[in-house]
Amino acid sequence: MSRELCLALVLGWGVQATHAQALVAVTEKDFLNDVPLVLSVSRLPQRLDETPGAVTVLDRNMIRLSGARDVADLLLLVPGFQSSTSFEGDAPQASYHGGFNPYAARIQVLVDGRSAYSPFLFGSVAPGLQTVALADIERIEVLRGSNSASYGARAFLGVINIVTRDPASTLGLRAGVTAGENGVRDAQASFGWGQDNASFRLGVDRRGDDGLKGSNGHNRINRVNFRADLRPVATDELQLRVGGQAIASGVGYAGNVDRPLHDRAFDSRYLQLDWRRNLGAEADLAVSYAHSAETFQDNFFYALPAPFNGITVDFGGRASGDSLSIQHTVRKNADLRFVWGGELRREQVTSKPLYNTDEPQQTQFTRLFGNVEWRAARDVVVNAGGLLEHSSRSGDSFAPRLMANWHAAEGQTLRAGVSKAYRPPSTFESSSNVRYIASGVLFQIASLSRGTAEPEKVVAREIGYLGEFPRQGVSVDVRLFHEQIGGIIRRAQYALPPGTQLLQSASGFAQTSDYANAEDFAIRGLEYQLKWRPWAGAQLVLNQAWTNIDSRDANAALAAPKLASTLMWTQKLPRGVDLSLIHHERGSMSLQGSSVQFPMRRTDLRLGLPLQWGKQRGDLALVVQNLGSAYQDYNGSFQFQRRAFVTLRVDN
Amino acid sequence: MAQLRSTLQRLPLWFGLALKWAPGFAIGLVFGLVFGLTAVAPARAAEPMVVVVISERSASYLEAAEVLVRELERGAPERGGVARADIALMTSGEYATAPGVAPKLFIAVGAGASSVLAARESRVPQIATLLPATSFEQIMQATGRKPSAVFSAVYLSQPLARQFDLIRLALPEARRVGVLLGADSQSQAPALQAAALSRGLELASALVGPGETAYPALQKVLEDADLLLAVPSPQVYNSSSIQNILLSSYRARVPLVGFSQPYVQAGAVFAVYSTPAMVSRQAAVMARNLLMGRGLPAAPQYPQDFNVTVNEQVARSLGLKLDAAVLADRLRQLERTP
Repeated sequence: MSRELCLALVLGWGVQATHAQALVAVTEKDFLNDVPLVLSVSRLPQRLDETPGAVTVLDRNMIRLSGARDVADLLLLVPGFQSSTSFEGDAPQASYHGGFNPYAARIQVLVDGRSAYSPFLFGSVAPGLQTVALADIERIEVLRGSNSASYGARAFLGVINIVTRDPASTLGLRAGVTAGENGVRDAQASFGWGQDNASFRLGVDRRGDDGLKGSNGHNRINRVNFRADLRPVATDELQLRVGGQAIASGVGYAGNVDRPLHDRAFDSRYLQLDWRRNLGAEADLAVSYAHSAETFQDNFFYALPAPFNGITVDFGGRASGDSLSIQHTVRKNADLRFVWGGELRREQVTSKPLYNTDEPQQTQFTRLFGNVEWRAARDVVVNAGGLLEHSSRSGDSFAPRLMANWHAAEGQTLRAGVSKAYRPPSTFESSSNVRYIASGVLFQIASLSRGTAEPEKVVAREIGYLGEFPRQGVSVDVRLFHEQIGGIIRRAQYALPPGTQLLQSASGFAQTSDYANAEDFAIRGLEYQLKWRPWAGAQLVLNQAWTNIDSRDANAALAAPKLASTLMWTQKLPRGVDLSLIHHERGSMSLQGSSVQFPMRRTDLRLGLPLQWGKQRGDLALVVQNLGSAYQDYNGSFQFQRRAFVTLRVDN
Repeated sequence: MAQLRSTLQRLPLWFGLALKWAPGFAIGLVFGLVFGLTAVAPARAAEPMVVVVISERSASYLEAAEVLVRELERGAPERGGVARADIALMTSGEYATAPGVAPKLFIAVGAGASSVLAARESRVPQIATLLPATSFEQIMQATGRKPSAVFSAVYLSQPLARQFDLIRLALPEARRVGVLLGADSQSQAPALQAAALSRGLELASALVGPGETAYPALQKVLEDADLLLAVPSPQVYNSSSIQNILLSSYRARVPLVGFSQPYVQAGAVFAVYSTPAMVSRQAAVMARNLLMGRGLPAAPQYPQDFNVTVNEQVARSLGLKLDAAVLADRLRQLERTP
């Protein structure tokens, strides 16, 4: 990473140094000369009322007003989402329509188009959600609903698309510090330089707190991110992103021999290179390469009776991913636009403790995808697409999608469609081999995947409604869904052949687990978001989601609450002061596969005072998260208590 | 056709230039015309009646010159018509080095040609055309000349009134018009302010300092404005900066209103503009009036003929329903009603 960074830094300074602008008078040439095509076909995203699915956008202003400190917490503002602030799994988890497992692996997270799930941690998206500092995010587009046809297998139930700010719009210095109760200590600094055709940003930040009450706490995330945007000629754009993060947290429980208090570290880094060429008024070509690597350290000592000293229980290892993709966007005419492309992806997971071998576990994916956006009639937009995927581990699958949007009247859109998607078992689910050996004696085989798990599948049907009532200042987004899950992959106990069962007395190691396709069940429900600007400077956002999961498993049946509601009120007060009040209320649920269920009630307050120093702007904000009494988070023994903190931010 | 081809073949250098400068057969045609004019004119004993001076030999100037010549040619001399043989065409460079010509009228095409002529010719009447109003004002300032019966102009740029009327027609909900001004367009601020106020609109303007990127000013304007009206300024709007300006305004869902057709192709949502041909036709009318002894109008003219162009894809994506033809018609109607 450092070499690329140095090169780009040198390049950036060089470009800036040679940049000089001569003053030229306005002439007819300003009117007559060609202007490079900017809003080319792939730069014009679909309108919200023409996308093949429900989309919630969290923009920079919303992010700021929420007072949230990370993306996972922010997702509480999206209908149908559940999230936790706990680092017990790996980092704060978020899921849509149920987590089902300790790791959120049924949604996709993209950071500027780069798939950011963890191959090591069962495909968990939690570390990916932490990739960039909130201050560097332009907006987050949340695609609620299965979207594999466009975003690959990980988009099983939904997609979180994090878009970072253009370096050209973050020139100069930006910084922020946050401090408060619960050991909250966040700091961020970012510097941007360059000019229009070559702009750069280097940012470092950390996020730190003492975690949930009852947990081992002390969670620290340190990040560095660099981005360079270059436009060597008018038709081409080159972007380079390099970064890394270190997540260090305290986990475990005092007095619990199976999971004692200990520290854990997850480090990841990435490099991403994007090239986009404009092929004229009606076509664009994009080629991307991404590399990511991660290491995980999580081990503790487990005492055994004499004559054995004990063993080190270890979950550590490393993983890497490489992806090369190409995408061609074409507008055939005003009524027909399509995008198609392919991706080659390779993932390697290496962990002696988890796979009982030093050899890397490798999975190759070959993907071919396409989507046609067809204006079938004046008021009807049809999106038809599909993803053909070959996985070296689980064979071929085809994920199709068909969605129609009907503009029934001005500002009124009805949407209906169906899609099918697959989630192949993760490397661990298909190849785990966890053995505990002390002094050359095999005590226990904790997990042994026989590789029988097939990809789980989902058939999602939905009806949506989008209404815009500009005169009343109201907009409504409703989604009625039926997501039929087939063969969900679960941990299953099984008996080893007689004679292999060892040391029964060691609690927690008594059983061997495999992963297998379990039951089929449906997730049905309705969710909506209502936005209303009732008076000047005010906005009310009301989200509600009713979810019914007809699983026979009591925890899975409550993987999402029966009813979750969020009300957010933001108000511009005199002197530019921003007031935000957010209230969440949700029914009992089993968070991320937890075996206990608990509800949540939380009210957050934020008061922000805008500041200005010359050309530099910023704000000073007081945030109180959870004004009321503590609520249970992640599992029954952790509690989210009131957290008050102050943030001082300097923006450009 | 065959005649033209043989004409071009006789001068392979020009033909090569034609290929270099402009794509397409139409430009070849213009060059045939140019060759004919310049080759014939010096051979005549008498002075040409009209000398057309263009800033440079590139497509737009040649197109403008061609339309000028064609329009001047029409009709009998008593109705202001001029025989093709009585029209000479040269670049401002050629004019500057040529021995003195004394026609009845000079027509300068482009700011460069207009500036050279205004400085060198004070006796012969001249019409400056295919230049923005601001260029003509600068020329007047530099030369100390004032519009008169022998010194006038037909602009390429649109009157602010027309641009603001179009904004009212296309975006009736919009209240605040954002503008980004540079050192080279700052002088327009009072006129912009007045044009906005007279239509019940507010102006949200921000200044981009020399050597600065447009972003900080742009961000300020995008926060306040319902639309961003591009005001020509090479300092603010150039081929490097336009990407960030268009992308930022699009992201903020603030439509960018352009001032030319290329801007709309690049991603501006709409623009009112006049083509070189439209401006030339108007200049030709002015020229014929002068040749018939009526003198030049007291004030320089903005183009009377114009088009409206809409980027359908961008408009649709911003949720705007705009029809270029309907907008142009309503704008013309509005200008006809006093």
